[in-house]
Amino acid sequence: MKKLEQLPWYRRENFVISLFLIPAAFFFVLYIVAPIPISFYYSLFRWDGIGQKIFIGFQNWSELMRDPVFFRALKNNFILVVVSIIVQLPFGIGLALLLNGGRWWTKPLKTIYVLPYLMSSVAIGMLWRYVYEPTFGLVNMFLEAIGKYHWIQDWLGDPKIVLYSVINAINWQFIPFYMILFMAAMTAIPEELYEAAKIDGASPWKSFWTITIPLLMPTITNAATLSLVGSLKYFDLIHVLSGGGPSHASELLATYMYKRSFHHFRMGYGSTIAVALFTIGVVVSSIFMRSARRKEYEGSAL
Amino acid sequence: MKKATLYLLVISLLLGSSLSVYAQQVNLTLWHIHTNEGAAQYTIQDAIRRFEADYPNVKIEEVQIINDEYKTKLMIAMGANDEPDIFMSWGGGPLETYINAGKVWDMTDALNNEGIYDNFLPVALDLGVVNGRVYGVPIVNMASALVWYRTDIFERFGLEVPTTYSELLDVMEVFNKNNITPFALANANKWTGSMYFMYLVDRVAGPEEFYNAMMRVNGGSFASEGFIKAGEYLQDLVRKGAFPRGFQSMDEDLAQSRNLLYTERAAMYLMGSWAYGTIKAENDSMLEHLDFFVFPGIDGGKGDPSNLVGTPGDNYFSIAQKSAHKEYAAKFLGYLSDDTAAQMLIDNGHIPPFGSNIGERISDPMMQKIYGAVSGSDTVQLWYDQSLPPELAQVHLDTTQALFGLEMTPEEAAKTMEEAAKRYHNEK
Amino acid sequence: MLKKGVKTLLLYCFAFLWLVISFYPFIFMVNTSLKGRMEFLMNPVWAAPDRFLYSNYLKVIEGGFFRFFFNSVGVAAVSVFLILLASSLASYVLSRIRFRFSGLIYGAFVAGMMIPIHITLIPVYNLTKALGIYDSLLALIGPYVSFSLPISIFILTGFMKDVPMELEEAAFMDGASHFQIYSKVLLPLSKPALATVAIYNFIMLWNEFIYALVLLTSKKNWNLTMGLWNFQGQYSIDIPLIMATLTLAALPLILIYVFLQEQVIKGMTSGALKG
Repeated sequence: MKKLEQLPWYRRENFVISLFLIPAAFFFVLYIVAPIPISFYYSLFRWDGIGQKIFIGFQNWSELMRDPVFFRALKNNFILVVVSIIVQLPFGIGLALLLNGGRWWTKPLKTIYVLPYLMSSVAIGMLWRYVYEPTFGLVNMFLEAIGKYHWIQDWLGDPKIVLYSVINAINWQFIPFYMILFMAAMTAIPEELYEAAKIDGASPWKSFWTITIPLLMPTITNAATLSLVGSLKYFDLIHVLSGGGPSHASELLATYMYKRSFHHFRMGYGSTIAVALFTIGVVVSSIFMRSARRKEYEGSAL
Repeated sequence: MKKATLYLLVISLLLGSSLSVYAQQVNLTLWHIHTNEGAAQYTIQDAIRRFEADYPNVKIEEVQIINDEYKTKLMIAMGANDEPDIFMSWGGGPLETYINAGKVWDMTDALNNEGIYDNFLPVALDLGVVNGRVYGVPIVNMASALVWYRTDIFERFGLEVPTTYSELLDVMEVFNKNNITPFALANANKWTGSMYFMYLVDRVAGPEEFYNAMMRVNGGSFASEGFIKAGEYLQDLVRKGAFPRGFQSMDEDLAQSRNLLYTERAAMYLMGSWAYGTIKAENDSMLEHLDFFVFPGIDGGKGDPSNLVGTPGDNYFSIAQKSAHKEYAAKFLGYLSDDTAAQMLIDNGHIPPFGSNIGERISDPMMQKIYGAVSGSDTVQLWYDQSLPPELAQVHLDTTQALFGLEMTPEEAAKTMEEAAKRYHNEK
Repeated sequence: MLKKGVKTLLLYCFAFLWLVISFYPFIFMVNTSLKGRMEFLMNPVWAAPDRFLYSNYLKVIEGGFFRFFFNSVGVAAVSVFLILLASSLASYVLSRIRFRFSGLIYGAFVAGMMIPIHITLIPVYNLTKALGIYDSLLALIGPYVSFSLPISIFILTGFMKDVPMELEEAAFMDGASHFQIYSKVLLPLSKPALATVAIYNFIMLWNEFIYALVLLTSKKNWNLTMGLWNFQGQYSIDIPLIMATLTLAALPLILIYVFLQEQVIKGMTSGALKG
């Protein structure tokens, strides 16, 4: 590496760097980078997506700042982020721990617990619709059968609970994914560490906190990042299960943008929401990743 | 040897002829939403078969797109200048958006030349007409919202069909006492709930109320007394338990409403007259207990209780401005609106918005009754969400759904709607 | 001793509870798929079918199920291959070579994770038309690869950064080229992360919906999700039939997983997704 200048041109770093980056960059620029400035450009117009674009400057942006639905969707997005992280990760870790030991029943459970993650979002949405169906659905029929009438809810129709009903289905879908991640990470922790701790008289609970969690930390950080990013632009299950309704109670930024653009013929405004979503996402996730990385360094310094 | 030569001859003839056909092959694309088997799908496919038989050089590619995503897909195609040759819309506001964008062909002259202009009922054709020119022709159904009900449940409790709002409340009370939901409503779709609101506005204040507000004439306003009153009646119905548990999240397209009707958990069902065909196809054992009445009047209200809400044509078929084969497309619309097509619609429970002597050709008694109600009414108010430009239609649907959810007061809903209308018209 | 017993019991309870939560919806799905349409509405949902009604499955298969299935698998497989190739090459450079803009390029790729795909629909639609691949399965590969790249590069770069440098320095001394180091040293060492990336993306892509909806028209090109959606539209009233469709759609991946799960877990072991 020190003798860079003496290398033939095709061994030079710059050439290798560009050659290796080209395939990824090609797709990335074509399909992902280009649409951002295009979207920003659209956000300056009043445009139904079909006809003439009328330039209106930043009117869409000022409307966005006064749009209560936008802020409601934003709030819902943050609820989704927080609930996803504090539910999916701990359950993922807990299940991974549960299956970590080699008892006779762990093997079949390993398979069964993963099943929800193997279904597509559209399929899960279609399935959970009939889990939540107010009259013929699984949950309410069960509550009716055991006589708990006052527990019967309008799971997808009550604005107060619809968001949590949908998040529940999202958790159901993704907990297995985190479970696999943590299972994989746990098998990498050397057994000797636990044995040494045992000899020192540490309880399993204590070794969980002093060995397992610190060693899982990098995986936890990454899992949290995935969860954060996924939640911020989440779309699928909401679209299929509640459509963001009723009255925007379960609206997310992505579903709101989709509706405004394609159902309400407001491509300009939809683009505005999209650019806002992108900006918020980049800011939030970079703050998160930065602070997570700092924590990690601090942790390793200790 | 001889045989082989003959074969060769036949093959080369076949090849030759198919090649020559291929040379002038015309392809037309047709987009519509009728993914379900039923009157509309049968009629469209039959028309394609007949047309292709008469014009072997034309191939019509029929694309069925799920209702939910149809508008999205059409819009993206138009945004990319790639709309299909023939496409369907619901007339009114959205069609005007397409026309303003220069996407739709003015087919007035072609209809006249082909002699199919007179196929269509003028009242139905109106929704496809802008500035006196025809951009879309009505194909599928003359539909009105009617209150369908289970006669067996009414009989069981000795009830009469309600003709006024207070009678309706009495009927509802009996049902609620007996654990039967009065109305099967699935309101996730919003247009379903909108039917109640439209009727209430009409019954309270008459059809002018909406017309004035929409056209911004005669001091009309969406924040007027009539709209607020209608909102109050609507919320009165909600509070008195007119609708099933969870109705705000139930999906009409998934039949979540009709399932209640089929299982005798609900007694009434306010729905377009197409419900007859749907129920016939889904559960014909219920037909003997099925009847309908027109939405009851309100005591002291201005609207005539025989007024209907509906659409004279349901689906409008248009030809794309950019289509390379408009003449063929126009000829095809002739097949889609001839007597054979009309008969096919009638046989499958629809009332065609075209054809002659429709009333006499209907033999099914229920269909006759529907036809009677539709043709006997002075005013058929077009669905609000089709009369209004798409942006405002959405506000109407959203605020109405919020009214059903008791999340907005009638005043707030009316104000929101009026503000949106003002914004829309100022900007225009 | 007693305390341990209680603990084990709690453990069993939790394991069982989770079994019910994650598995019962599947039982509900399969059970319902064997019922008649009205039977489902009239009886409690957990009641066993009056008689096993396999006709629902036949109807779904006749509706073109296998065609949609193979379309999905084909597109997902090709896309995943391209994703692995492009992202591992890029990650190699971003994790192993120091150069001036590496931080910026990495940041740009990772920021790509935040792009909401729906806003790209119209630009991507136009692009697809311009490339002349509209309404073909090829149309899906570009967007699928692109939208999977950010997360794949994020995972792979993170992993490769942790691979010790010694091996490759030795190889470098022996005169190996970057490409040789990439293919002979780093790729084999990154297997766990590559497995994670492959699984994660395959599951995402083989059931993708929104691009398939926008970029495909002909029924012969539909993927499985489009098929599902259409079945739902077509047989909305027939809940058991819809459940049969869902069962059939879920089955292949479940079977594959059951056979391959050892490899999957093993592949992801040894610290996949390290920071």
